[in-house]
Amino acid sequence: MKKYLEIARAYMKAQLIWRSDTFVDVILAVAKILFAWILWSILFEGKEQIAGLGFQAMISYYIISSYLFQMEKSAEISQQMTGMLRNGTFSKYMVIPVQTQGYFVAMEAGKIAFSAGIGLFAAFLWFYLFRIPLVHTANGKILLCGIIMVVLGLVFMAELNYFLGILTLKFEEISTFLMIKDNFAAFVTGAVIPLVLLPEWITEGMRFLPFYYVTYLPSMLFIGECEDEAITGLIVLSVWCIVFIVLNQVTYEHYRIKYDGAGI
Amino acid sequence: MKNNFKFLSELIKLRLSHIMTFRLGFFCPFFINTSYFLVQLFAFEAIYGHVDNIRGWGHGEILIFIGTFSLIDALNMTICFFGVISIPEKIQTGELDLYLTKPVNPLLRITFEKVNPGSIPLLIFSACIIAYGVRESGMSLSYSNIIGYLLMVMLMTILYYDMELLIRCFAFFVFSVNNLVKIENTAIDLCLKIPGIAFSGIYKFIFYCVLPYGVIATLPTQVFIGALSAKGLMFGVVIVCVFTLLALSFWTYGVHRYESASS
Repeated sequence: MKKYLEIARAYMKAQLIWRSDTFVDVILAVAKILFAWILWSILFEGKEQIAGLGFQAMISYYIISSYLFQMEKSAEISQQMTGMLRNGTFSKYMVIPVQTQGYFVAMEAGKIAFSAGIGLFAAFLWFYLFRIPLVHTANGKILLCGIIMVVLGLVFMAELNYFLGILTLKFEEISTFLMIKDNFAAFVTGAVIPLVLLPEWITEGMRFLPFYYVTYLPSMLFIGECEDEAITGLIVLSVWCIVFIVLNQVTYEHYRIKYDGAGI
Repeated sequence: MKNNFKFLSELIKLRLSHIMTFRLGFFCPFFINTSYFLVQLFAFEAIYGHVDNIRGWGHGEILIFIGTFSLIDALNMTICFFGVISIPEKIQTGELDLYLTKPVNPLLRITFEKVNPGSIPLLIFSACIIAYGVRESGMSLSYSNIIGYLLMVMLMTILYYDMELLIRCFAFFVFSVNNLVKIENTAIDLCLKIPGIAFSGIYKFIFYCVLPYGVIATLPTQVFIGALSAKGLMFGVVIVCVFTLLALSFWTYGVHRYESASS
């Protein structure tokens, strides 16, 4: 465990090198919130509620979901893995005495720990500057469930991207697939629009998938909605995390012999 | 001029034979763009399923708006996108030297050297969205509206290219333009969701005059539905001329400042 903590710490420190990127990320988060404000203030003209959410709740949802979506940087795992497997530099992860899956999850944790702190500070700053009354839950248990769900969601996304990275060993070129995945991931996690706007039969189906619990449900829990789904959500997401941890281990063991260290 | 056309035709022939070597790559832009626009379409349907109209535009007009944005993006992807996005890398690695030392206009070559017919199916897909929008709105089309629309789409494709070029030209002066590209993507994302007619005040100024993504699909849609005034039409032409001049001047200035790989 100590080894993984060291990896996480090293990557957290490494984030300080890209200070301007962090600054731009904060600015972009504001831009997204501002854009949500423009969009929804137009759409709410003459309306009290849309899909059961008032204007303040909608903006609070966007601020929280945009913060969670920005914190999740695991797409870099699959991109990094596919690049290294193709050019033959992945060997460095195979020769160190840690599990590669654990290494990439720790790497992701380190990056998130840095951006989460900055992002949280920025989110509060925007709430204060724009005088946005934050709609939030007053229930401590729901808040805790939401936080655990966020952590599980981040773990799941890291595991999923690690799995996609491994697939490079089988399919060689997966960058197109990764871009398509990124397009759909933003939508199905609820980062583009709150999933409550979708027809009921679609959201019913999405409850069986993990993406529903990555950004959408935690954001809804934090604004005091969908509280009855909290426990079910934790169970479903935990099951998905376990499935992917096992799947990754099996897939990696199966395909790693295809890697000859010389690239593809 | 004649030589340029001959050069372009040779360039496109070379590109097509290169694409045929990597057949999966041929369809990559199509799959990526289609997935992106499907997501945007779902998002639109979800949002506008709860709203009757937006500043007078109903469901049909909004669909025409999305289809138009998709059409302009597909044209851009087919003709120049992959060439223009390679500019920062060419500047950083010094590869631009190879373009500057050849006896042809370097910008012309960069713009058209990565033509990608893989995005052509997306043009058809966009046309279907527009046709569906027309049916939804129940409007009757005239030849003048269609011709005006096509001309405006052409102008806005040039504007889209100008914006892409302007942002990539910053690579002459800074180490990385990745963050500027992120800002570009965020602005495009917004302007894809909100028709320009919905902007007012400072936002209208920003998305009409500073980052004119707000007009890209809005003006052609207004021409199509017959809602664009002469003043609006004039504005469209002027903004394209201004940004084209700006992009070309910025490119020329950047090339003058370029000092090979050490830039």
